Amino acid sequence: MTAMVFGKASDAAARKDVAQGGIGIREYVLILVQLGLLTLLLRQFQIESAAFLRLALLAFCGFAVHALLPMRYRLAFFLALSLAGIVLVLDIVNSLWIVGIGLGLIGISHLPISFRLRGLLLLCAGALLVALRSKWVDAPALDAIWPILGSMFMFRLIVYFYDLRHDKAPVSPVRTLAYFFMLPNACFPLFPVVDYKAFRRNYYDDDAYRTYQVGVDWMLRGVVHLILYRYVYYHLTLAPAEVTEPAQLLQYLVANFLLYLRVSGLFHLIVGMLYLFGFRLPETHNRYLLASSFTDFWRRINIYWKEFMQRIFYYPLVFRFRRMGTTRAMVLATLLVFALTWFLHAYQWFWLRGTVLLVWQDVLFWVILGAVVVVNSLYEIKYGRERSIGKSDQTWRSLGLLTLKTFATFWFICVLWSFWTADSLSGWLSLWSALGGPYTFDALLYPAIILAVILVGSVERKGLRNTRASTQDEGSWRRGRLVTVVALLALISVSVEAVHQQLGAKVATAIHSLRSGHLSRLDTAKLERGYYENLLSVDRFNSQLWEVYTKKPANWLDVQNAGLKRFTGDFAQTELVPSFVSRTPYGTLSVNRWGMRDQDHERTPPPNTHRIALLGASSVMGWGVGDGETFEALVETRLNKEHATVAAPAYEILNFAVPGYQPPQQLMALDKALTFAPNVVVYVATGRELSRATSYLAEVVRKKIEIPFGPLRDIVARAGLDASMDETTGLRRLEPFSIDILLATYQRIVDQTRAHSAVPVFVFLPQVREGSWQEETPETLRLAKSAGFVVIDMSDVYKGQDIATIRLAEWDDHPNRRGHELIASRLYDELQKKRETIFLPVSRASKN
Amino acid sequence: MTDDIEGAVKRFILKEFLPGEDPAELTDATPLITGGVLDSIATLKVVMFIEETFGISLQAHEVDSEHLDTIGQIAQLVRAKKS
Repeated sequence: MTAMVFGKASDAAARKDVAQGGIGIREYVLILVQLGLLTLLLRQFQIESAAFLRLALLAFCGFAVHALLPMRYRLAFFLALSLAGIVLVLDIVNSLWIVGIGLGLIGISHLPISFRLRGLLLLCAGALLVALRSKWVDAPALDAIWPILGSMFMFRLIVYFYDLRHDKAPVSPVRTLAYFFMLPNACFPLFPVVDYKAFRRNYYDDDAYRTYQVGVDWMLRGVVHLILYRYVYYHLTLAPAEVTEPAQLLQYLVANFLLYLRVSGLFHLIVGMLYLFGFRLPETHNRYLLASSFTDFWRRINIYWKEFMQRIFYYPLVFRFRRMGTTRAMVLATLLVFALTWFLHAYQWFWLRGTVLLVWQDVLFWVILGAVVVVNSLYEIKYGRERSIGKSDQTWRSLGLLTLKTFATFWFICVLWSFWTADSLSGWLSLWSALGGPYTFDALLYPAIILAVILVGSVERKGLRNTRASTQDEGSWRRGRLVTVVALLALISVSVEAVHQQLGAKVATAIHSLRSGHLSRLDTAKLERGYYENLLSVDRFNSQLWEVYTKKPANWLDVQNAGLKRFTGDFAQTELVPSFVSRTPYGTLSVNRWGMRDQDHERTPPPNTHRIALLGASSVMGWGVGDGETFEALVETRLNKEHATVAAPAYEILNFAVPGYQPPQQLMALDKALTFAPNVVVYVATGRELSRATSYLAEVVRKKIEIPFGPLRDIVARAGLDASMDETTGLRRLEPFSIDILLATYQRIVDQTRAHSAVPVFVFLPQVREGSWQEETPETLRLAKSAGFVVIDMSDVYKGQDIATIRLAEWDDHPNRRGHELIASRLYDELQKKRETIFLPVSRASKN
Repeated sequence: MTDDIEGAVKRFILKEFLPGEDPAELTDATPLITGGVLDSIATLKVVMFIEETFGISLQAHEVDSEHLDTIGQIAQLVRAKKS
């Protein structure tokens, strides 16, 4: 059999071939062209990761071969491609581990012993993997594989084993392996729970060309979801503390829920890719924003999950409880299914993150959702629900009613979702105080947009879901093709800089921001917090941060546990432990007797020496580089080398930086630094100064730590802040004073420095990761100038650099050795440019 | 009775879940579960109907789209159970 239907073969032969996976030459080329455009689109918008682009290319090239192969070779080819995909994304060693462990688990499922014994053995193997994953048993070699191995086996093995027990269909080893190691999985820890029966049964059960085409459509739909997600993630999300008015509360609720677009986008992309290889799987989501009841929502969102729970747990439970009466059995089974959903959600996060997720908000979320679904189900049992397979009897009244029901459901889900994803209950409760804020016209914006979308979306669409594409009439099929190609071309065009710059500065900036995947300003702040404290909220998919965390090795540099810092009990809270020495994978980290990450210095400067005191946080201290590799050390060496003459003064840079220090804490570091009689005090700011200063002040008030600085105390009093307030309320109270807080901090640094006859210098050092944190930079620089600093702006120090080459890791944005070299080189040049202002003659500046 | 399995199931589905629908639209091959006509509650109602009407009993693992997605499949399952 040939897979391609060439030229003018007889209609009968062509139909037979098509039914067996054949495709006409024109259709084959059409699919390839669209895949080419899709590749361009993935590249232009940097969808997901570079690894995904490679995997997509492998899949698309693989498709070109696969579609031409005789049917009997296709599944084996798909398996080979899937295994190649794992090697492409991971490496050969990790791939072998995944395949080896996977084969072990599959092998146990097929042992020639009783089903019960096989189940017990699988549980034992699972327990061993749990021990390894949770680090009860040390296996560092496996660190990189857990999220992917987990996503391949944590649910699919349950489905597979269940079907082995009940399914009479013969088992094919190739199909089984293809099911577990299926192609796009290597890139996606969050993967839909594909049903084994559907995977087997729907394989090439429709016209091949139309199946492939639906795959392209779904991948495009996935990309659109992901681009919309980015817009929401970068531009609409708010921190609870930023919510002070009803309009912002509505924005918070909507944006928080819409972050789910990422999951639906990824699932479309994944399943669409499987369509290219003949797996005509059901839809993963069905217009979930248009759910008109809670049961409807449960049926429309993450359908694979619903099907999984239904098949494996719900029906068996209902059958078990039937003697109690069918309605009671259904209610009890539904409640148990939601309890199990909570448990399996925690189980899923365990495999992805390696930690146990036991947050009571999670429990309560599933309890509430389970309860409303039960109530809704009872209503439907009694009164039924509207269904249709072809009739069209929608009236304006029924459309209006449906719209209102959907509108109400949408907002209820938004509220429930905000509760589920909130960092804390107190934070979530404090959100609602925004209802007491001013009601402006803006408050109507989101309800109006949502209402319009729901109204349009609720207009009845005839037809059933998941029908074979070959049953679609030719006219609507051709229109669908046109829409896909036009959408592909439009998205690619708009991604081109020369095109989107014609659309006005605002639109161009927004489109530019959508063209790359990065953490939002809120997640960037969380990532920074994560260096110094354990974060719980990265266990929710509403924060993209969890994906970064899944890659972070368990033994990664950890400021919190390194033993580098100790508590002080004063406003600074922590300081470096004097004479501490640690050997890290990046070199030795030594702290001198004074608690500086530096070589030893005397308290009194040597004669004829420019002494510079450097204030900053972890990047300045040199987190992730060895002694002598910090930009401080590099600049000091260069200054001494290039100005070394007998008469010229020497240079000393004393590094007073402490990881995690926020602007107000630098006042304590300054007091210490001034006792070393510096000629220059360099304050290094690294972005988000306003928010960080505000946040720190709120923290010390909450912790009842005495504030030793009058101006800051006054601000706290003016804001009406006290220790009884939760974090969100505290931040909200202080937010209007953020400029005052930072200015007071800067002013004190300048005044104190000048009072000690030293020169205050402000260096702006950006974070290696570009992002919306930069929004605070202009104001920060303005405040620094206004306070009287000599300002050195190094905002563009990393410009044109590949971020991967200058930061420690994806989960750690501290500059690496190369990053420090760049900073040192630039800082040296800047110091030279402002030499006359900064380095006053030692005879004048020295306080020997 | 067995010969009219399709007819009985069709009448039940039309009456219970698709009142007012043109009977011609519901064929033996119309996808009921995957097509979104039968949700879990409706599927269980169909299960109860065929158990009571045809005197058979179904297992939990048979309640899925492989056995109950179309009237044709339902009839096939009933026949297999009765034979």
